[in-house]
Amino acid sequence: MYYFAYFLLIFALMASIGCAGFGLIQAWSDKTAGLNILEKVNFLITLSFGLASSILLFALATHDYSLSYVAGYTDNTLAYFYCLAAFWAGQPGSMLFWALSVAIMGSVFALTRGYADCPERTRLWFWIFFFTITGAFSTMLVLWGNPFLMTNPAPADGSGLNPLLQNPGMILHPPLLFLGYGGFTIPSCMALAQAVTNRSDDVRPWYETTRVLFIVAWCFLTAGILLGAWWAYMELGWGGYWAWDPVENASLIPWLIATATLHTVILEKSRGKLTRANIFLISLTTISGFFATYLVRSGVVNSVHAYGQGPVGTPLLTFIAFLCVITLLAVFISKRGAGELENPFSREGALCLTALILLVLAFIILNATLWPVFSRLWSPVPVGLDAKFYNAVCLPIGTMLLLLLAFCPSLSWKFGIQHKSWLLLALLGGAAVAAAAYLLSYQRIHPLVAQFSCGAIALVSLFALVQRLLGQKAGAIRAGSLVSHLGLALCAIGIAFSGPYNQKNDLVLAAGETQAVSSYKVTLKAAETGRGIDYEYLRAVLEVRNEKGELLSTLKPEKRAYDKFAGMLFSEVDVATSFGEEIYASVSGVDASDNMIVQINIEPMVSWIWLGAVVLSLAPLFNLRRRKAKDMA
Amino acid sequence: MPPKKKSNTVLYAVIALLFLGGVGFLVFQGLQENSTYFLNVAEAKSQDPSKLSNIRLFGTVAGEDITRPEKGTGVSFTLEDQFDKTNCLHVVYTGIVPDTFKEGAEVIIEGDLEKNGVFQARVLMTKCPSKYQKENRT
Repeated sequence: MYYFAYFLLIFALMASIGCAGFGLIQAWSDKTAGLNILEKVNFLITLSFGLASSILLFALATHDYSLSYVAGYTDNTLAYFYCLAAFWAGQPGSMLFWALSVAIMGSVFALTRGYADCPERTRLWFWIFFFTITGAFSTMLVLWGNPFLMTNPAPADGSGLNPLLQNPGMILHPPLLFLGYGGFTIPSCMALAQAVTNRSDDVRPWYETTRVLFIVAWCFLTAGILLGAWWAYMELGWGGYWAWDPVENASLIPWLIATATLHTVILEKSRGKLTRANIFLISLTTISGFFATYLVRSGVVNSVHAYGQGPVGTPLLTFIAFLCVITLLAVFISKRGAGELENPFSREGALCLTALILLVLAFIILNATLWPVFSRLWSPVPVGLDAKFYNAVCLPIGTMLLLLLAFCPSLSWKFGIQHKSWLLLALLGGAAVAAAAYLLSYQRIHPLVAQFSCGAIALVSLFALVQRLLGQKAGAIRAGSLVSHLGLALCAIGIAFSGPYNQKNDLVLAAGETQAVSSYKVTLKAAETGRGIDYEYLRAVLEVRNEKGELLSTLKPEKRAYDKFAGMLFSEVDVATSFGEEIYASVSGVDASDNMIVQINIEPMVSWIWLGAVVLSLAPLFNLRRRKAKDMA
Repeated sequence: MPPKKKSNTVLYAVIALLFLGGVGFLVFQGLQENSTYFLNVAEAKSQDPSKLSNIRLFGTVAGEDITRPEKGTGVSFTLEDQFDKTNCLHVVYTGIVPDTFKEGAEVIIEGDLEKNGVFQARVLMTKCPSKYQKENRT
């Protein structure tokens, strides 16, 4: 059966490359008769990826350890749900999942009216680009990442899934990222196809025909990144959510570029400007998704996340370079957008600046991540940049972005301030939040600026939203965008408090001992040991009281040793969830004199990030409904 | 009324320059203050010891002499080069030891090499394996 699955992958490879070539020949000789075939082959490719995935899932579900992938990532005691989720636990499986999601999205898109309305030549070129990408995926699967390798004899039990990954948050985090990366493929193929075929004005542009996929992909990517942050906070026991690790940065870069694109597309949609820039940016989004995988999988930089240094590095890099060249060529061929940009002191200018800031952030993060590689050019030993660098550089730029967002809605499209009331509201909201923060003795300047901006964004967005719901035109910003900005403000204010003002305290406590942490008193009531389903635990029972001695919460963080993972310990943190100061407790261990070592962190407003994350990942979906003609500004 | 369009390109250029200038300054300052050497143990050993302050080291935890203090957190151990076991360095760390720290674990440490040849680590991280390799398969 597994030979058949492998054969399906080979078929996908042959079909993709064959069709891309066939499409090119057709395009060269100015024919479009083969379009039918290409459309049908696409369904066949989707079917073969789908069948191959089903076979892998079946093997995972039935514990068939003759497949080394199954033996490598699952075992007999693993819950059924996690067995299936092991599909994307390793590189070959995740590559297959990504390929499958690209293929499915391509097939779905081929059934839409947006696709059918396109001229045949554009459709032909769409498939040429699309098959190039599926071809690249299947090449990598067939040659360097075959999930259907078998071992003989089959082991009786597998080696199990890392317990850190056995968490609902972690199980959803990778597929969300891949669905995000995959979703951007369709808009970029369409954009490139329209660039090459020189779209005429009566044809609907790519960002309209593929906008549903574009927005959904953005939501997936956003949700994936923020879920990863939440998981790190809840599972890893170090009390942080973002460490500027190369692997985290890798997922942030496509997000920044995609977000920049979402904003420059507005200018093309309503003003017909920046046509070329948009084609370039959407394509860059997809390329950066591949680059993220390269960064994560090739071992080019040392990361805390030690993935096996797979052999896919060089081929992936070659493919990325190839895509870059294609993109530049397509952009070069494409026609220019109409008209010059308005005065920078306008909403148009603000949108451009937004995109510029996002791109600069992406550029800086990319280079900083690769600094150990680049620095080899002039330094005998690699020089790297730690989290302090990112915080010192990216946070001020981020704050600038927030400030811009606070005042952008008040600007007129052409020049100057249009909505004086909004400007006033922004100042009011910002001042209120900043004053409150200052009075609560959060008084550092830089966080204050960020908090000011968040207050401003929140109040303006809310007000505009209410106006819109009441049926007023409200500055032509759509409801989904307003709510997304609100979500961003929630996330940002959470970061602006929990980042600079969190306190980490390592306590060494004897049983019954009380120690003061900030304005709280923490007592170790008991140190318990016991047994869960498949693990031994060491549990600290901690009482947290305020200055008056009132009991606020009893926290029971654990340290676990799973049977399957001898010699490794895992933290199970406990938090006293709060929208104010959240108290976070994790057990670090026991010292030689039997004292309990616990970490108690005070994390102000960290929950706002998770609240904002939910809003930010869902709000854009409100924009899926097509804008009514009368709304067009 | 908006000013004439001709001047817009210049205005955009000026704004972009101002912005990039500010960013450039931030980056420059960040590079000055926060660059750290990323080294393997073998590479660190071959460097002039005076240069080895505030560096990041990659290596594997050797089994022989992992000792924990009587009271409180921390660990001292020998860090081996990933590829060349003969190159090693004694490390002292006083913070909270990560769960996954053990013999044979790949770790990342940050800190300074003291005059006595002991590496004083401020940060100790263990790599997070996506795939867990069992030591003895049965």
